[in-house]
Amino acid sequence: MAQAVAVTAPRGGVRQHPAARVLLYAVTRLVALLTAVVVGVYLTILVANMGGYVDQIKRAEIREQVALAVSLNEQMQRLPADVRERVAEQMIRNEERRLGLDRPFLSRSVGYLRDALLLRLGFAERMTSDTGSRLVRQIILDRLPATLLLFLSAQLLLFFASVAAALALSRRYGSPADRLVVALAPTSAAPAWFYGIFLILVFAAGLRWLPFGGMVDAPPPEGKLAYAASVLKHMVLPLASLALSSIFLSVYAWRTFFLIFSSEDYVELARAKGLPGRLVERRYILRPALPTILTSFALGLIGAWTGAIVLETVFNWPGLGRALYQAVGLYDTPVIVGSTILYAYLLAVTVFALDIVYAVVDPRVKVGLGGER
Amino acid sequence: MRRTWRGKVWALTWVVLLALPAAAGAQAQRVGAWVDGVVAVEEPSDAAAVRRLEANDLHAWFSATANPEIASRIRQSRALRSAVSYGLYHELTFNPVGPVFPGTERLNPFAVPRIREAMNWLVDRRHIAQEIMGGMGVPRWLPINTAFPDYARLADVARRLEIRYRHDPERARSVITEEMQKLGATLVGGRWQFRGRPVSITFLIRVEDERRQIGDYVAGLLEGLGFVVERRYGRAADLNPLWIVQDPAEGRWHVYTGGWISTVISRDQAGNFDFFYTKRGLARPLWQAYRPSPEFDRLADRLNKRDFRSVGERARLMARALEMALQDSVRLWLVERQSVWPWRAELELVGDLAGGLSGSFFWPYTVRFRGRAGGVVRIGVPSILPEPWNPIGGSNWIFDTTLYRATQDYPLIANPHTGLPERQRVERVEITVKQGLPVTKSSDWVQLRFAPTIRVPEDAIIGWDSRAQRFVTVREKHPQGLEALVKSTVYFERDLFRKVQWHDGNRLSLGDILLSWILTFERADEQSPLFDRSYVPSFQSFLETFRGFRIVSEDPLVAEFYSTSWTMDAELMTAAGSFWPVYGFGPGPWHTVALGIRAEAAGRAAFTAAKASEKKVERLNYVAGPTLAILDRELEAARAENYIPFERALGRWIKPEEARQRWRLLAAWRAGRGHYWVGMGPFLLQRVSPVEKIVELRRFGRFPDPATKWLRFGEPRLASVSVAGPRQVTAGSEAAFEIRVSEGGKPYPPQDLQEVKYLLFNARNELVAQGRAQLVGEVWRVVLSREVTSRLTPGSNRLEAVVVSKVVSVPSFASLTFTSLPAR
Repeated sequence: MAQAVAVTAPRGGVRQHPAARVLLYAVTRLVALLTAVVVGVYLTILVANMGGYVDQIKRAEIREQVALAVSLNEQMQRLPADVRERVAEQMIRNEERRLGLDRPFLSRSVGYLRDALLLRLGFAERMTSDTGSRLVRQIILDRLPATLLLFLSAQLLLFFASVAAALALSRRYGSPADRLVVALAPTSAAPAWFYGIFLILVFAAGLRWLPFGGMVDAPPPEGKLAYAASVLKHMVLPLASLALSSIFLSVYAWRTFFLIFSSEDYVELARAKGLPGRLVERRYILRPALPTILTSFALGLIGAWTGAIVLETVFNWPGLGRALYQAVGLYDTPVIVGSTILYAYLLAVTVFALDIVYAVVDPRVKVGLGGER
Repeated sequence: MRRTWRGKVWALTWVVLLALPAAAGAQAQRVGAWVDGVVAVEEPSDAAAVRRLEANDLHAWFSATANPEIASRIRQSRALRSAVSYGLYHELTFNPVGPVFPGTERLNPFAVPRIREAMNWLVDRRHIAQEIMGGMGVPRWLPINTAFPDYARLADVARRLEIRYRHDPERARSVITEEMQKLGATLVGGRWQFRGRPVSITFLIRVEDERRQIGDYVAGLLEGLGFVVERRYGRAADLNPLWIVQDPAEGRWHVYTGGWISTVISRDQAGNFDFFYTKRGLARPLWQAYRPSPEFDRLADRLNKRDFRSVGERARLMARALEMALQDSVRLWLVERQSVWPWRAELELVGDLAGGLSGSFFWPYTVRFRGRAGGVVRIGVPSILPEPWNPIGGSNWIFDTTLYRATQDYPLIANPHTGLPERQRVERVEITVKQGLPVTKSSDWVQLRFAPTIRVPEDAIIGWDSRAQRFVTVREKHPQGLEALVKSTVYFERDLFRKVQWHDGNRLSLGDILLSWILTFERADEQSPLFDRSYVPSFQSFLETFRGFRIVSEDPLVAEFYSTSWTMDAELMTAAGSFWPVYGFGPGPWHTVALGIRAEAAGRAAFTAAKASEKKVERLNYVAGPTLAILDRELEAARAENYIPFERALGRWIKPEEARQRWRLLAAWRAGRGHYWVGMGPFLLQRVSPVEKIVELRRFGRFPDPATKWLRFGEPRLASVSVAGPRQVTAGSEAAFEIRVSEGGKPYPPQDLQEVKYLLFNARNELVAQGRAQLVGEVWRVVLSREVTSRLTPGSNRLEAVVVSKVVSVPSFASLTFTSLPAR
């Protein structure tokens, strides 16, 4: 879990105005984050294209597809060999041009980076969105609602349930419930999709209480309420899988975290002073723990953006994870870069915002005071 | 009380008597599809699909499994049925360069034809089919599909070659050893060495399917012969750059596990020799390295150019080419995969022998619940709407085509078991072929004539003037006259324009048909705003053989088509599809196509992916997405202008009243269904949920044909064959054998059989005699004369029966082993 870091000014230097210190700190952080984004995205471009080797793969794929097309097309096969050759060559040239393979990879890679940083996501090379658009933006937007609906719901449910349960358990350290959670924590070693298959076998194939997968009944109900109810019904099993795969470990981790904070000297002092238990918990345990809780919450929220490839596949859930997996399989650089830059910006903004929030919520954090409190 | 009871019985009887004919009539009059609707959902996994089928959550899965365990589960389940298709096949591709790769010391044994030929004996194809593929494969030795008509025609030749090249590892070892020694290699401690270094084979093994196990098996065999095998595993993306892009002379690979597919039954595979074995196949470095023997090269060329005068001559050329293909063996054909397509037992479906369910043209016409009309069928498909739908350049994903095929109709439909066309909107066709071409016909609705020359009429249309917006005639383009090899005159049904309706309520018109002809030329014209670079290659290939068309009569529609392209089956040369408004990627009434034309011409969207990329615009999608808004704007403008596309040309056939009605009904359609996909098939596209991946099709109630029209198609009528006869035959004495051909326990109707042949092999597997069996009562009889039996050597001989059906392209085989005794 990320910890807040106090930024200090050099001792003995000229003391700056607090606003200037905050501004300088903010600018420094922004520059660092932007640099990280640029480096990260360009590395993604290089990795996604295997440093340009993907061009060779694409060229080979085009040739194989043309060979297959010619072998399948009786009309083409009946043409004189030279004409067939000419036609096949032209098909190859057209496709290479369409995919930009007529330009060197390095120059294309700079273009990818520039467009990404300016959020000009442009057109995909091979993929289309569910609604048939070639715009990278549309490919992401088509899948975003379903992704956020499932994974955000799961994240929120899990987070609040875990924190609440962990707090309760930290108060009852060593109780049967506490021991049970500790014992069940290793069950989180199995991924959500494993539980998904298990739940499908029991509740869809066996008991036939819940659907096998998909997002909604087929055909989709006409009314909005009926549609929403159908979506909720389809969310039960994937949500349950996500919950089963992480709830015990999450409760266990938070409960341990709260126990550590509960044994701090200042907490003992507060208790010794006779402060009420609730006040001690709120002021001396939860407040200093808040940066960590917020960090975990915020990163969890933006983590929901990426979806989960296998779980989406098991439940036929139209999420972003499958779309991105497909993009990687197709070497569709604009889609890979588009989703990466959005995630990178989202992460950078979140980290930057968290830096500010730490200062607000944690009384121990001050900017540029050299550790003075 | 008693009278009341009797009265009730009488009343009930009358009600039943009156209602029965009415119900029967309603059943008989049902048109189009048997079911009320089809709901397609996405289900990519075969295991999950079978679970859902068993749980009655799906009625059919429109994809196939090649997993032996899942296939066995399907076959054993009483709740499920299945069909088998044979379209996918595997081979070993050899690098033919060498015997030493240029500039290296590396030996390539596969540069030697005899070593490649010997690989046929080394590899046990039955092991691959039965053990590796768990019975989901059929051994294959030849470059023609075992389920297609050419194999049936040449079944005796094929059988002879298959026996000649059957698994014989000792023979393989002996030939390979002899040839390796000739190359200067030596066997040291069981390992081949060349110029002091071990002979290593780089084997490219694909890992996506059973080719991984096949590759490992063959690699093991090669290691057993003393080669060092370097196994390079990879997916298409990893291995394609090596085998198809790089020059094989670089020596970076020796063998590759290749795979090919056929999605429709091909009735003429004579071109396969030219494509797979000669440098004329493709301009790739690998193909350019092929060096077939001059005789094989000539044969392949002749077969590809159809340079033969009779069916008999073709059969002789094919027989020789098959033999030479095995001697050449730059490709070692291994196995055809049997794919199993499952559905629930209460459902009736017709699959295609090559394309299965997703490749079947007949599924929309035949899908029904057993014993009843109506109901909604839920089908699973591996992917739904992966690409936009538009008729000119939309999705060609097999699973999309499966769905939009249900919304279109055809003038002729390919028979799912033979590949020959069946009539749907055509009354008859007259085919005139240049004298000397070996063309035959099988259907009574085709009239076949031969003529010394076929002159294309001067008023036939051969082009299009994009600027003047008018058709160009043969007189203008070829004032000296033009000849063709084939003329097809298609007589469509007399009431065609009255009976065929588009789903939005408009009627089919000649404008629909002629717009498709205009686009054929317009899209290849660089001056046109509709010019599409990606279309040019296929247009060029079309121009190579196209010699003109002519509308002889507008109503009833009679059209002529002139070409230099011909096939042996007259039915395949009708060109009826050229006069039908179904484009490459779906149905296209002129008014919906016109909206796309307007959008593309204005640079707002494009039909094809290539042009969309080039112009940096969206690809037109008629069923969902952002281009619907573009089409909406075009519809509004077209309706306001009462727009007629290419009005100077089409204005003669499309009157303003027709245009007005088209736009009005289309606007209502768009408002009601939310899309622009208008077809004329047995199902209409009711609703598309692109993100949820659900497509709903609804029965089209104004479809012109009764639902019963294609009831005769069911499962492919594969013949069961058994041979009975004496277990011992004395040389020099007559011997009689009986061949029983049956179907579902009953004798196979003789009129449905093409021929029943026999092949007689002696104890050394040499062909001693062959001939045709004679029908005697219900059995087919083979009598081996004294002269024939006197040629048998003492030992175990085999009589093979080959049965070729007229109604299914897969031949059936059976054999009987008997012992021959020396003459007393």
